[in-house]
Amino acid sequence: MSSDSRQDKRLLISGILAFAFLAVAWLWGLRFAPSEEHMGEVYRIIYVHVPSAFTAFSSAGLLLVLSLLTLLRRSESASLWAKASAEVGLIFTIITLATGSIWGRPTWGVWWTWDARLTTTLILSLLYAGYLILYSSLAPGPQRDRIVAALGVIIALDVPVIYKSVTWWRTLHQPPSILREGGSSMAPEMLATLMLCLSASLLVGAWMLWLRVTNLRLQQQIDAYSYQAQND
Amino acid sequence: MRKSLMQYRALLVQSIHVEWANAERWLSPLLFAMTILILFAFAFGRVDEQFIPQLFIAATYLTAFFSLQIAFSRVLEPDMQDRVFDQMRSYPISPSAWFLSKFTLVLMLGVMILVPTLLLSHLFLNEGRNNLLSGSLFVIALIALLGLGSVGVLLSTMMLRSNAKQILYPLIYFPLTTPVLLAAVESSRAHLVEGASLENLLSSWLGLLVIFGIMYFTLSLLLFGELIKPD
Repeated sequence: MSSDSRQDKRLLISGILAFAFLAVAWLWGLRFAPSEEHMGEVYRIIYVHVPSAFTAFSSAGLLLVLSLLTLLRRSESASLWAKASAEVGLIFTIITLATGSIWGRPTWGVWWTWDARLTTTLILSLLYAGYLILYSSLAPGPQRDRIVAALGVIIALDVPVIYKSVTWWRTLHQPPSILREGGSSMAPEMLATLMLCLSASLLVGAWMLWLRVTNLRLQQQIDAYSYQAQND
Repeated sequence: MRKSLMQYRALLVQSIHVEWANAERWLSPLLFAMTILILFAFAFGRVDEQFIPQLFIAATYLTAFFSLQIAFSRVLEPDMQDRVFDQMRSYPISPSAWFLSKFTLVLMLGVMILVPTLLLSHLFLNEGRNNLLSGSLFVIALIALLGLGSVGVLLSTMMLRSNAKQILYPLIYFPLTTPVLLAAVESSRAHLVEGASLENLLSSWLGLLVIFGIMYFTLSLLLFGELIKPD
């Protein structure tokens, strides 16, 4: 068996395991975790919403590190990983916005409001989309890697603004309840379920990252072959 | 240091000459601003006096934001003609001098658009009933301009080689500058409606505006060198 097909098999098996873990975590959160006193069953969406938001923010952190590596070390591989992390970040930001909207309808009475955290999260999704469009619109090469890396650094700086937005601006969104001074305000059973969902979400995010980098490498090879064939 | 200063001065003078030679480049954003303000004045008609400051702030910043975006997106266009940009990249020019010359040009263009916008907005929307123009308001607008201008130059450089810059520039400029605009609008509102002084505002919205200005300026200065490096 060639090393490529072995890697394909590893990728497939790890993907199945990651998604199975996510399914178990979501099932636990949506079915078996205790109900919330004030919000009832509606609150359960936090087991999808919060882990997605955390994975989207983690992707931005990863994007910052990889963009800095591209700029400082001229690493072509870091640039590929950075693009993949922006793609994963965009997917999880969209999930965050969608689940937030579903939660907002019964809680606030509207699908969408120009609340600070919602707006800044929308901004993050636009930035991820802008990053990916910019990447596609430039000719491949070290200059493209540097340009998108510069944008990656700026995008990553948006994340602290999103996180602090609920305390800086007047906002409908509730203040941080997990990472806050004096410890988490959540019940231990809920926090444990949330941590399970968070681990599953991060694992799926990491798997998607791996899958995309593998695909992007293949794409690079195909582009190189077609360029060579045209010039032969 | 002296060499960089001389380079900065030479680049700035050259950029001003280019802008001045083609009046359309700075005149069209200004005319766009005037048109928007006239439309606002006609659409709202005579407004209840208590809402005038809010309308003034909203109309002014909205107009200035779009006009500045038009002006900033084109700031490096002349450099792309006759491969000037590629030639300059191969010369031993200090990236900081190059960035600062473009940044100064952007500030000059920004002031040329922002100050008339403020004055015209006051004239059209307020009709001289209250005095909304103050030194503090100009200070807030100028600090906002620092943040908008530095991002403007950086994005303009990023988009030079993109084949989708007409879509990309607003797509990225808008989300990056939203916090700056929000902070500028909130600072101006607190100053005009609640009568807050600049000292009081420094611990809230104006502080955020200053932080964004410094952050975007520093990042743009550091990253500009990477963007203009030859392959």
